[in-house]
Amino acid sequence: MDSNQSMRLLSSWIGQIGDLGLNLLWRFIHIVVSLWYIVSGISEAIESYAISLGLNKKYSSIDLEKLRCLAVVVDIEAVQDVAKVVELLQWLTTIGVKQVGLFDSQGLLKKSKDLILETVPGSMLLEEIGKDFSPDGKRIALEFISSSDNKEAVMKAANILLQRYLKSSHPENDQGENFFTESHLNEALGVVGENVHVPDLLLVYGPIRSHLGFPAWRLRYTEIVHMGTLKYMRYGSLLKAIHKFTGVHQNYGT
Amino acid sequence: MNTLEEVGEFTQIFDALMSLMRKFLFRVLCVGPIPTNISFIMDGNRRFAKKHNLKGLDAGHRAGFISVKYILQYCKEIGVPYVTLYAFGMDNFKRGPEEVKCVMDLMLEKVELAIHQAVSGNLKGVRIIFAGDLNSLNERFRAAAQKLMELTEENRDLIVVVCVAYSTNLEIVHAVRKSCVKKCKNGDGAVVLEVSDVEGCMYTSAVPDPDLVIRTGGGDRLSNFMTWQTSRSLLHRTEALWPELGLWHLVWAILKFQRMQDCLQKKKKLD
Repeated sequence: MDSNQSMRLLSSWIGQIGDLGLNLLWRFIHIVVSLWYIVSGISEAIESYAISLGLNKKYSSIDLEKLRCLAVVVDIEAVQDVAKVVELLQWLTTIGVKQVGLFDSQGLLKKSKDLILETVPGSMLLEEIGKDFSPDGKRIALEFISSSDNKEAVMKAANILLQRYLKSSHPENDQGENFFTESHLNEALGVVGENVHVPDLLLVYGPIRSHLGFPAWRLRYTEIVHMGTLKYMRYGSLLKAIHKFTGVHQNYGT
Repeated sequence: MNTLEEVGEFTQIFDALMSLMRKFLFRVLCVGPIPTNISFIMDGNRRFAKKHNLKGLDAGHRAGFISVKYILQYCKEIGVPYVTLYAFGMDNFKRGPEEVKCVMDLMLEKVELAIHQAVSGNLKGVRIIFAGDLNSLNERFRAAAQKLMELTEENRDLIVVVCVAYSTNLEIVHAVRKSCVKKCKNGDGAVVLEVSDVEGCMYTSAVPDPDLVIRTGGGDRLSNFMTWQTSRSLLHRTEALWPELGLWHLVWAILKFQRMQDCLQKKKKLD
């Protein structure tokens, strides 16, 4: 009995030591990974400052013809700092971007809409300009988007289509192919006040590369670039991301 | 013992050693959180074929299938419960008819091989689900896909969702249509559609939302893949072309996922 107990105790100790060893090895690997990210971050910061100072001629002029609509996703913790968002918009205006969709999941930027429109020179609400109007000079059209424009909006549109379907006369075994198509859903989204235009480029300001619930219906072929946190945003990195986008060739699946 | 036999024996010992080292690496990796569902946007097969001067319209895709096998094996060994593969999008039908036929024939060949493996018990606990507008595919492929799904239905070690004839927009429209028709048929009381009704009718409703999306080929976009389901997913990109994706790329992506866990959990709690 004693030897069995001793064996069990010994194997339990060996198991615990083994688990501790694995744990230490895992933490060591993550320390190495973190060091890599620190070095990479320093290198990106140096490159960004060089771009900001105009040392790299490649970024001195950017052709924005391909960039009709830019979207910016801001992480919830960064949204508290509206001044940073205003600074970002001012940079975008300087670069020459004409239309920006600002997204945060909780809709806090929507609540600060008036403050942002007052503070960013030349800014106006996208929904207040006509379809044929294109902002000129240093003007920028802004759109404020939140999670309510994602799944909730699709549900509102779907319910509109459902009501139409219910009111229509259709055979008993009908599967709804004539009532529920992509163009019907697009139209219904328009009825509930949603913009269905697909942004060309989505810049994510936050700790992780994730679209954080940006309207799914609009994300089809949008280029998604992670910019790091808003607190440490850099003009050079912004220029680099937009310049890189202008060189992207998409084949749209073909 | 002649040279060939010696080389064969050496290869076996080397393979066994590599397998042991890989299992040890995975054992260390599993100290931290592992994604429940990893999705792969398998981009770069054609560029791989061009890069290596491979002949044939399906050459790059054949190389890509080898990658699929290895990645699924690694995911199973790590203990990832679900893997989603973006195999063929609706937009891919716009490619040249010869290329589309080539890819479809290759996929059918692999599905039939998988059926054969499932029947002989060699599929080792892997369940295969096909997600997408399967009605737009040819009858032979549809029948083979259905058979493979039935044969592997009880397997639980690794659930693989293969997205074929898929796009997010098509999935949303299909889910809205199906849930609306269902609501009408049930039709008791106020008929109002909820998010859960639509999500229950999506092509990928059998599996949880992806925690980690890995796109190969250097692209920065989702290409109409699971944009509805990836609100809280970590999007990872790699310059490696799909046939070049290997063990270390997967390990790196999982390490990145583990680093971001605190942030990802905070985002999920906000929902």
